[in-house]
Amino acid sequence: MADVIFVVDDSNATVIDRVFQMVENVIHQDHGSVALVFLIGVIFGGIIQYTRVDKFEKIAGFAMLKDTIIPKMLFLTVGLTSIGLYFMIDAGQAHYHVKPIILQGLIIGGILFGISMAILGKCPGTGPVSIAEGRIDVLVGAIGGLFGGLVFTLYYDDIFKPLMGESLGKNILTDFFKGNEDMTAIIFGVVVILIAIAIPKRELFDEADLCQLPEDKRPNKKED
Amino acid sequence: MMANRLPWWVGGILMSGLLLLTFSIYGADRPIGASTYVPYAAALIFDLDPEKYSYIEHIKNPGSWEGVMLLGVLFGGFITSVFITKSFRFSLIPTGWKTYKNNSIISRLLWSFFSGFIMIIGARLAGGCTSGHFMSGMSQLAISAMIFGGVVMVTLVVTGKYFYNTKGKE
Repeated sequence: MADVIFVVDDSNATVIDRVFQMVENVIHQDHGSVALVFLIGVIFGGIIQYTRVDKFEKIAGFAMLKDTIIPKMLFLTVGLTSIGLYFMIDAGQAHYHVKPIILQGLIIGGILFGISMAILGKCPGTGPVSIAEGRIDVLVGAIGGLFGGLVFTLYYDDIFKPLMGESLGKNILTDFFKGNEDMTAIIFGVVVILIAIAIPKRELFDEADLCQLPEDKRPNKKED
Repeated sequence: MMANRLPWWVGGILMSGLLLLTFSIYGADRPIGASTYVPYAAALIFDLDPEKYSYIEHIKNPGSWEGVMLLGVLFGGFITSVFITKSFRFSLIPTGWKTYKNNSIISRLLWSFFSGFIMIIGARLAGGCTSGHFMSGMSQLAISAMIFGGVVMVTLVVTGKYFYNTKGKE
């Protein structure tokens, strides 16, 4: 594949050229083939769509504490993955890719993210799934996001990088329990799974979606 | 007959399988992330010069990886919505917004634009989002992800309480 090179003349490269360049970047990265990365996206989008966790009623519904499917599914995912991943890394089947503790960035960013997630009723992973099922308001949100990304890129060095603060390291939980790493990872995973199960199940349904289904297939008509 | 909805616990198990596959050396040997593609796409669309803006060079690899993944997400989401959940329809305002906020399409679109804007600033300041921090980060037991997750959960619920009008409504 090394001889496949997209020659891009910067002065008049079009958006299409730059999309080809994006694909070429993935080819040269050694993080899975383009087909695999695309397939990961298809499955990711499929799971989110199939469980309906991209819905405004699920995400903004959780913000209003009227729907708890989001935290239940998130915590279950984290609990299961944390145990599996810990032992995969131990066996050399995977690696750590831990993000740094940039305290100011995490707190300011987390506050902005939480506010906007409650208002938009989406996040960057679920938003595209909603756009793919025809939600125009989310497309407008994504255009807002593109401008957010533009502003962040333009003022990264002058404003945002200083705002994020210095990294305090890339610690993980087991660093604080030396000698008991395995047990710490297992306890964390089990506790998070138990939290997922313990959160009371509440659901907010969207009549506008359900009326597109046959009467006997609507989830709000069934006892679960 | 295929069900039109998947229960949360099946979704959690499948999502965990996908994360482990992506992390493994037989998969992509990296976490799943979903917010770096946005500034990458902004640079792509607005034709920003990587030599002038250091952030573009900084996110070149994760941004392009997530960009290809995003194309898959759009495709997977579309196919599933048409053939399985039957939820594909064009809409400008969510039912829940009408119930708990207002009936104005203009209000919804303006708030959408504004919240999309600050969402990406927030995610990039923190270095991740629900996928990169909450799911991938916490699965690695990362302290950074736990701080982000805690701040987001609290802010989300506080905003939900004061932004929407839920009093006396189901």
